[in-house]
Amino acid sequence: MRRDVIETHAGGMWLWLLQRVTAVVLVVGLAVHLIVLHAFNLGDLSYDNVAARVASWFFAAVDLSLLGAGLFHALNGTRMVLLDYGFTGSNRRVLAAVLWVVGVVSFAYGTWALWPWLTA
Amino acid sequence: MSDKNRETANVGAGLWKGVGMWAWLFHRVSGLVLVLYLFAHIAVISQARLRGAAGFDTLFKTLESPFFVILDLALIAAVLYHGLNGVRVLLFDLGVGIRQHKSLWWAAVAGGVASLAVFAVISFTFIAQG
Repeated sequence: MRRDVIETHAGGMWLWLLQRVTAVVLVVGLAVHLIVLHAFNLGDLSYDNVAARVASWFFAAVDLSLLGAGLFHALNGTRMVLLDYGFTGSNRRVLAAVLWVVGVVSFAYGTWALWPWLTA
Repeated sequence: MSDKNRETANVGAGLWKGVGMWAWLFHRVSGLVLVLYLFAHIAVISQARLRGAAGFDTLFKTLESPFFVILDLALIAAVLYHGLNGVRVLLFDLGVGIRQHKSLWWAAVAGGVASLAVFAVISFTFIAQG
C-alpha cells in the first residue's frame, strides 16, 4: 500500500473508536439532559434551578461527560469533514493539533463556567 | 446496463435516488449545525459565571421567548436525526442490519418524527401559556 494511503489511516483507529464511544455517551446523556431540562423544567430554568440539579453528583457527572464527550465528538467530526477536503500529510497533523488545543481549552473554560455550581 | 450507462447513472440525480446519500448528507449537515450549537451553548451557559445569577436569569427570560423556543425545536430535530441515524451507523459498524439499511433509515426518521412531535406539543403548550 502506498505510504500516503497508510498515513491517512495511521492513528485513525483509536479516534474512530472514541467517536463511537462518545456517540453512545451522547445518545444516553442527551436523552437524560433534554428530557429533564426541556420536558420537566421548561419555564423554570434559572441559575438556582441549575444549581439545585447540579448539586447532585449524578447531574454533575452527566453535564461534565456531555461537555467532554460533546467536544471530542464535535471536533473529531469536524476533522472527519475537513479530511474530505484535501487535508493530507503534515496539514492533517497541524489540523489535529489545533483541534486538540480548541477542545482542551473549551473543556477547561466549560468546567470553569460550571465551577460555582459544582462547588456550591 | 452497459458500462457507459452504469457510469452516468451514478452521477447527478442518479446518485441521489437512494436514501443512503441523503442519510449521509443530513448526518453531515446536522452534525455541523450541532458543532456550532455546542459552542454557542458553552458561550451562553458560561454567562452564569461571567454575569452572575441575576444576569443569567435575565438572559434566560430572553431565551424563553417563542422565537428561541422554536429554534430549540429545530435543534431537537437536528439532535434526534443525528442521534438516531448515528445509532444506525453504530449498528452497521457492529455488522448488524447492513442489508436492511434503507428500512432502518426510515425507522430512524419515523422515530425522530414521533419524538419531535412530543417535544413540539411541549414547546407549543409552553408558548401558548406565555
